[in-house]
Amino acid sequence: MRAAIATCLLAFAALPSGAQVPESPRSAPPAADFLPSSYRPLPREDVVIAGATILDGIGNRHDQSDILLRDGKIAAIGRNLARPAGVRVIEAAGRWVTPGLIDIHSHNGTYLLPIVYENPPTWDVAEVSSPNVAETAIEHAINAQDPAFSLALAGGVTTLQVLPGSVTLFGGRSVVLKTVPGRTMQDIKFPDAAPGLKMACGENPKGHFGSKGQAPTSRQGEVAMMRAAWQNARDYRDRWRRHERRDADGERGGREPPARDLELETLAGVLDGEIRVHLHCYAADDIAVMLSIAREFDFRIAAIHHAVEAYKVPDLLAAAGTCAAVWPDWWGFKMEAFDGIRENAAFVDAAGACAIMHSDSPFIGQHLTLEAAKAMAAGRRAGLDISRERSIAWVTSNPARALGLDDRIGRLATGFNADVVLWSGDPFSVYSKPDQVYVDGALAYDRNDRQRQPVPDLLLGHPAREAVR
Amino acid sequence: MTARLAMRLLPLCLGLACASVLAETIAIVDAKIYTMTAAAPIENGTIVMRDGRIVGVGANVEVPAGARRIEGRGLVVTPALFNSATQLGLTEVSSVGATNDQGVSEGPLGAAFDIQYALNPQSMLIRQAEADGLGRAVSFPTSSGAAPFAGYGALLHLGDGAILERARFAMFAEVGGQSSGRAGGSRSAQWQLIRSALDEARALRTGSKPGTPRDSAFSRLDLLALKPVVEGEVPLVIDANRESDIRQAIALARDYGVRVVVKGGIEAWRAADALAAANVPVIIDPSINLPLYFDELGARADNAALLQRAGVLVAFRINLSIHTSFNAGFALREIAGLAVANGMDHHAALAAMTSNPARIWGVADRGGALAPGLDADVVLWDGDPLEPLTGIVAVFLRGREVSQSTRQAELSERYRPRTPAPTLPPAYRGPE
Repeated sequence: MRAAIATCLLAFAALPSGAQVPESPRSAPPAADFLPSSYRPLPREDVVIAGATILDGIGNRHDQSDILLRDGKIAAIGRNLARPAGVRVIEAAGRWVTPGLIDIHSHNGTYLLPIVYENPPTWDVAEVSSPNVAETAIEHAINAQDPAFSLALAGGVTTLQVLPGSVTLFGGRSVVLKTVPGRTMQDIKFPDAAPGLKMACGENPKGHFGSKGQAPTSRQGEVAMMRAAWQNARDYRDRWRRHERRDADGERGGREPPARDLELETLAGVLDGEIRVHLHCYAADDIAVMLSIAREFDFRIAAIHHAVEAYKVPDLLAAAGTCAAVWPDWWGFKMEAFDGIRENAAFVDAAGACAIMHSDSPFIGQHLTLEAAKAMAAGRRAGLDISRERSIAWVTSNPARALGLDDRIGRLATGFNADVVLWSGDPFSVYSKPDQVYVDGALAYDRNDRQRQPVPDLLLGHPAREAVR
Repeated sequence: MTARLAMRLLPLCLGLACASVLAETIAIVDAKIYTMTAAAPIENGTIVMRDGRIVGVGANVEVPAGARRIEGRGLVVTPALFNSATQLGLTEVSSVGATNDQGVSEGPLGAAFDIQYALNPQSMLIRQAEADGLGRAVSFPTSSGAAPFAGYGALLHLGDGAILERARFAMFAEVGGQSSGRAGGSRSAQWQLIRSALDEARALRTGSKPGTPRDSAFSRLDLLALKPVVEGEVPLVIDANRESDIRQAIALARDYGVRVVVKGGIEAWRAADALAAANVPVIIDPSINLPLYFDELGARADNAALLQRAGVLVAFRINLSIHTSFNAGFALREIAGLAVANGMDHHAALAAMTSNPARIWGVADRGGALAPGLDADVVLWDGDPLEPLTGIVAVFLRGREVSQSTRQAELSERYRPRTPAPTLPPAYRGPE
């Protein structure tokens, strides 16, 4: 019921409440075909984690403090909190607490391991038949049984965004998921999360299509195709607005609505501000050009992904309100990555722009705090004063902001979702591990309780997985 | 400006300036020193280097008069790191084919393929690896014209000067589901090809005429290349991940009396006792706990710990393709740390990237540890090298300090935030 209402709210998001006649009518029909979330939180009880070092995700550190989880929300943070009757107490002296980590760039569920390259291939990372597949949605390809989800959960990740790969200019819609186990994608789909649109610039699209003799074969070709697509989307939106206006004025009387185009519907959703753009882009020039296209068509790019040269143009990112989701140490594997430096995130952060550490890998996706640690260390060596409480934002509140979910996840504050990780020690130490991971206040993973360690179907019963005697 | 940054900007050792400090005696005093010759580090030790060698290391070593003295209190010293499987020197930009020399897909060179002639000492990847504390590396071929052999790899010793320490020092081959296509589609064919090739190499009389021997599946060139393997002079490094293939590698070592090293070894924990009993070392990435391919279904995070417990000689390499060569020194630390987080002893994890590879690759008499007479390949850290927040204070290779001024460092210096903001474009900023 909640999910159905949520879908309706999404559809009518542009309408002022209570109004029958829209001031700025919706430009396209509602996204009714997208799969509503059937997520239900796991059974939960109220919990106090006591005496820990707490990093709240927005720059604050509370030593020897408690955090109260109640009805799936953060109820309080402070010293020596009053303990409500019946609350479960976790003594956490010497341990650390952070918000649940958020991985904004994952291919879990589609980059399906083990990879089988035989016919047909089992991975669905990207639909590569055309440079513009904006009509596709990665959520239709998610395999919720992927072991990578459980390992991400055990690594402290509570939310992740799965997006199409970066071969196409317009890759299709992304989806935000929780890392709790589920039978289907809808079981783990983050309720009411705004959809995203994956885009790519630079070497990948022209390398793939150009090598087949198809457009685009150059950066200028990529940009021309993008601008043409955005212009078509504008025209599509205008047709629908005219239709809705006639409808509102009672003039329609038998007039058919414009033909529905699933690809343009997604692009129009971006222009309306309802769909957030996540754009794979490496080089400084390419980033600058992408930001200018966004300005031309009056939309905002939520995050540039990989952004290997973000450190050269952090002011442009800051001015655009666009985040940079980066690795700490990938470089050299293609020309547009050749200038990668380890201080990237730190320099972006220091310029007042939004820095995010992402994984793009099911292995790295288990160690996001180590990615932040490496980036923090490089920034410190370059003379920047970066604390743990500041850099934890790169894997919590900053990605929450880029996903448009910073009103409910990514920080430990009263009223926010109780997505909480209790670490065995300093989360920036390679030796620390999540002891407990709470999602919506329910204990989804417990390192010391086999009953709270989800085992995906794939890994069940295989002889190679048998424990050593 | 922090003290650390100031130290970093000092022209410690840049390019040709290194030559002037050739004969310098260097002493690091009062540091925590992991010699790797004992089970525990020396808590407050001194190490002295001269003429490219270690001349003293211990708790009570005197600092010679005139030596450059480096204060090591609160700091940590280890041998330089050793990566057991990279393409250092054989690649510069992965996507640019012209810079890649690590493999051939066709042609007459099978086992005879030898990457030594392509090694590029000027590679920026090598500069970065040196600055990250890497002293030695195994560079191996990825494919040859005749699967399952990939050809000869090389042992590199980094630092100023020639990096090729030993050419044709190990023969490489690959078996398993991911590569069996090149042998027709079955890994059994891969094993048959290896065994037959070794049989024929053994039987080959080197005095006879050139040309392909009759009724042979292998070229004379390749059989000649395999002679040192069958004669026990060089090891055969077999890329194998599935338990059944690892056991086949052990059987091959036994049947042919050849030295075998298993590379990959994702399921090696399942054959740990057999590996230990057969003295077959294993080169692994201990952080792999997800099966990338079906051969790796047994992937588990405590692989390294289980192997160590069984007495297997373990050395580290990094699987992630970008880190394999682009962060050949830097990324070793994290995987070693994850091995410890999953049950391996801290000292054993250090050994897996220092003294163990020196033993496996036959240079224990020269490096991999800190003892008088060994190469002065020394790294000074400001903390536990396995921790991501630890930084390098200095790197010495062959007794000379390595420049921290890599290309990445120059880019970083050019673009670091400055107030007030510079008035000239970035291209005007940078070292002279």
